[in-house]
Amino acid sequence: MIRKIISGNEAVATAVKLARVGLTGIYPITPQTSIIEKLAEMKAQGEIQTEIVRVESEHSAMAATYGAALAGIRAFTATASQGLLYMHEMVWWVAGSRVPVVMVVGTRAVGAPWNIWNEHTDFTSERDSGWIMAFASNPQEALDLTIQAFRISEDERVFLPVMVGMDGFILSHTKTNVLIPDQEQIDDYLPPRRQPYVIDPEDPVEIGNMFPPEGYMKLRESIHLALKNSEDIIRQHGREYNKKVSPMIDYSTLNSSYRLEDADYAVVLMGAWAGDAMEAIDVLREKGIKIGMLRVRYLRPWSEKEIKENLEGKKGVLVVDRSTSFGRGGPLYIEVKSTIQDTEVKDIVTGLGGVTVGKNDMIYLFSKFVEGIKEDVTWYYPKEVGKLDIRTPRDIE
Amino acid sequence: MTLGLREILNKHNSLISGTAACPGCPENMAMRMLGMGLGKDTVVVVVAGCSSIIQGNAPYNSFNLPVVNIAFAAGSAAASGLARAYKQKGKDVNVVVWAGDGGTADIGFASLSGAAERNEDIIYVCVDNEAYMNSGGQRSGSTPLGAITSTTPEGKKENKKNLPFLMVSHNAPYVATASVGYPHDYIQKLKRAKEIDGFRYIHVLTPDPYGWLFDPSRTAEIAKLAVQTCYWPLFEYYNGKITVSQECLHCLDKRTRRPIKDFLSVQGRFKRVKEEDITKLEKYIDDMWEKIKELM
Repeated sequence: MIRKIISGNEAVATAVKLARVGLTGIYPITPQTSIIEKLAEMKAQGEIQTEIVRVESEHSAMAATYGAALAGIRAFTATASQGLLYMHEMVWWVAGSRVPVVMVVGTRAVGAPWNIWNEHTDFTSERDSGWIMAFASNPQEALDLTIQAFRISEDERVFLPVMVGMDGFILSHTKTNVLIPDQEQIDDYLPPRRQPYVIDPEDPVEIGNMFPPEGYMKLRESIHLALKNSEDIIRQHGREYNKKVSPMIDYSTLNSSYRLEDADYAVVLMGAWAGDAMEAIDVLREKGIKIGMLRVRYLRPWSEKEIKENLEGKKGVLVVDRSTSFGRGGPLYIEVKSTIQDTEVKDIVTGLGGVTVGKNDMIYLFSKFVEGIKEDVTWYYPKEVGKLDIRTPRDIE
Repeated sequence: MTLGLREILNKHNSLISGTAACPGCPENMAMRMLGMGLGKDTVVVVVAGCSSIIQGNAPYNSFNLPVVNIAFAAGSAAASGLARAYKQKGKDVNVVVWAGDGGTADIGFASLSGAAERNEDIIYVCVDNEAYMNSGGQRSGSTPLGAITSTTPEGKKENKKNLPFLMVSHNAPYVATASVGYPHDYIQKLKRAKEIDGFRYIHVLTPDPYGWLFDPSRTAEIAKLAVQTCYWPLFEYYNGKITVSQECLHCLDKRTRRPIKDFLSVQGRFKRVKEEDITKLEKYIDDMWEKIKELM
């Protein structure tokens, strides 16, 4: 194991190398691009054997990855934003086929208007597609979760594709210390590829052909059950990762908590700004406010058990969303609210399209929440952004 | 190279009984011949279209080959992934994309063009029935001028997109046209394609009785008429040159061509075709043969 200062994107490329991926479908889209550039560079220098298909669209990137996975080799792709939306059709196709595939999403706002900066809407908009969805909060987790994703995806009790989200620019381009496992450690952790069926003339099977309604619905249920049951399997592979690869980050749970046990109030969020939230919590704790955080690491499967155990009985829960379900609130909020009944849950949508929300904003938001401002959906703008005035179609009316 | 019927029948049977095809289905014919041409070590990527249905309901399948069914625009890319994976595993497999004209000329064109440009080691077979027949016969980019479809009830105003020439422009190592009316010619082209490395494109005319409005017993006859009237050329392009099949050598000279009216008059879809449209179609045919001659 060596320590290196690398970006989130380099961490992912390293994970792909360590996982001995057979084929990567690549198409450039910001902020994911440096993952595929790094892979192409590694390939050019003979560091990896991975086949690289430089396709003409994200739709084809997912299709090529799917094709290789069907033929029986480990396959990977990465995308973001418009690219993820463009491959949306194939994202569903892969899950419906129950083929192990791993994808990394460098999260980013979705147009119009154009915005290349970070938010989680591209990622959360795929939550009904049948993929297992993990979300990293630092480059180390991006590496670890990507490697674990192959293990989980290829587990015979799962056989579902896995996507790993990572905040665009905030993680993808920021360099930090990352512990890079040795190849032997990963070889020990990640066995050779397994999958439910291989498309090969030696044993002709068909995939994806017309299913009668009852059969189709049964298959849908099988995806639902596999996803639900993957919860324990993810914990199991997390524990194994801690044992065989690195004990640094605890992967024995689907979600990660901070100073939550004795807390009266809880904050729920996902991704890189968990770091700011932790600092804010420390400040508030010093003032005597008992507050803690639950960081969602797996959006799918959604661990009702962990959410309930951690949040039920608190005086209040504040969910901070970096994405929206327009007209309804934040997706994380909707999930949390539907999971816990006896606790007050409040939602804040903020940080969209790269709006910076830092430690001081968190302190402000959390203390307001503890003071007890009751509104179901709040769009929070940091001070300088709040002053901005733009014309929207509503003004024209 | 010539093939006797006996030799063909000994080949792999890629179509078994119980297909869900309509009577007189030309795609069924083309699929049977695919196995005769390519043999057993073949994987077919079927793009959304009639062929997604012809296989029959899962878990049964009348295509006696491994089949990957896939969304409309994804065929060429998925085949690229499959072909490269087989290469990595050291397996010699013919990876075939099987797509209709809608999946080829329209929605799938970007991935087709990408795979051709990358010279992926796949065989792309376009089964062209000149409209979106699976959804009830709507116009595609491959529908000929003057043809009535459910979205061009007045007759299509534009000429057919010429896909084989587009593939020649992509520097594909092998491009061929075929018709289900001439099985030997088509099978020979499949066999030739099998021997060549890189991207291979075969465009097969598959006249559809229900969309073209002729009696289902006449599929093969109409497929022949298209060739005899020089509407549908039979050629092969490789090593930078076009070779015309003997079935349409007469088309090289305008004076020996059979009138296009003989082809149009037997189909309901051209029943409202105007004289001026026939002139335009004739010009389309003239231009096409001029291009073919240039490349010979």
